[in-house]
Amino acid sequence: MYDLPRGAALLALARDVLLDELMPLLPEDRRSDALRVASCMAIAGRETETGSEPTQAVLRELAMLYEEESCRLLHRFAHDLRIGAFEESELSEQAARALMWRLTIAKLRHSNPSFLAANGLR
Amino acid sequence: MAGTASLRSELPRRACALAEFLAAAGGAKAVSVTGLKPLQGGALQENWALDARFSGGALDGDQRLVLRTDAATGIAASLTRLQEFAVLQAAFAAGVTVPEPLFASEDPAVWGKPFFIMRRVDGIAAPDRITGNAELDPVFPAVAERLGRELARIHTIRPPRPDLAFLAPYAEVGPTRQIAGFRAYLDRHPTPRPVLEWGIRWLERHLLPSAEPVLCHHDFRTGNYLLEGATLTAILDWEFAGWGDPHEDIGWFCCKGWRFSRLDREAGGIAERDTFYRAYESESGRSIDPQRVRFWEVLASVRWAIIALQQSERHMTGGERNLDLALTGRRATECELEILMLLDPGRNFADV
Repeated sequence: MYDLPRGAALLALARDVLLDELMPLLPEDRRSDALRVASCMAIAGRETETGSEPTQAVLRELAMLYEEESCRLLHRFAHDLRIGAFEESELSEQAARALMWRLTIAKLRHSNPSFLAANGLR
Repeated sequence: MAGTASLRSELPRRACALAEFLAAAGGAKAVSVTGLKPLQGGALQENWALDARFSGGALDGDQRLVLRTDAATGIAASLTRLQEFAVLQAAFAAGVTVPEPLFASEDPAVWGKPFFIMRRVDGIAAPDRITGNAELDPVFPAVAERLGRELARIHTIRPPRPDLAFLAPYAEVGPTRQIAGFRAYLDRHPTPRPVLEWGIRWLERHLLPSAEPVLCHHDFRTGNYLLEGATLTAILDWEFAGWGDPHEDIGWFCCKGWRFSRLDREAGGIAERDTFYRAYESESGRSIDPQRVRFWEVLASVRWAIIALQQSERHMTGGERNLDLALTGRRATECELEILMLLDPGRNFADV
């Protein structure tokens, strides 16, 4: 049980202060550093809010694809893609592609949602 | 890295040793170092702004220079500083717009590690200050044309070149070897990367007939040239140069990872692809094959993703605590999205 405001709210507030109040005071050649700090804070804030649930959901789909539970399923998936294990069947190839899309989009929603948007995705 | 207390206390001694080195190398009676401070940027190398006053010799008078040396940690694929100096000399002689290379040394008594000296050129390299600057919009097509011509000039340098004998033969650095290198890296990396594996598999199944090798810059992109207003003043960062397929540099320049805030401008985030292509073709007399560029663009996304992961590792386990390196690791997933978009276009995103 933590006091309010919660960590994510404090982080968002600190980021606003950094961008709106502190950055204009910085010399031009250090403003890009401030933007990087702000990016880190935004990523940390989003991850604090949602935890690992979005990528866990993709891992559960992977468990359905392989019909087994294992902490090594992502390793197995990567290995199977390397050796072309899904290429023999159009159905399994499509399922593998859909999983890769979902995993990638789930990760970018945390790390860089504006990049997703710039590519026409949400 | 530059700026630590130990380095600050060391600077007067280094400046002294540097002055002696410059005097000997420049044939001057004496040299005094009048300014020495680290430059921003350069994830893999340290660059120092060096002001020096030469008395006598070919450089008589005040000179604005750059000292370039190794960062605390690096990436194995990059050239040594002395090799990079030799490549820069070859590019300068071929008429490529680069800072004039002057001297190089690996004597540890001077700077503690190998370095070279080149002239300091004005201009901005920061990609967001270039692609995001609307005031530059009217001049971008001309800049893209100039870059196309510069790249064609780089590609006039071809093997065999005794002065570049240290560069690995193309057969040892072509796509087959690169693919093997990517997989070897992924085998060591703690986190599986399914999309990279899938992209590498595609590359393996779509290998191109071998090309006549040329000198490739291998990092020719927005962020590695200097713009002074509308004028291109230098092509920078030659540390990855080597023999390669000319389409390799074209795919790298156009890949989405280097368009920064302007994904819609496919030539380096500054212009239409055609503008850049036409200038390259006109200067080189060679036609660009879009299928070859596509192959190299997929490879570029894989390569950039691997570099991003390596940069992140330098921060996490390489002892180089650095915000830029840490954030770069997150960009690997952006490359994976691009691989999916290139190789699985037309997906119905309602299903995703």
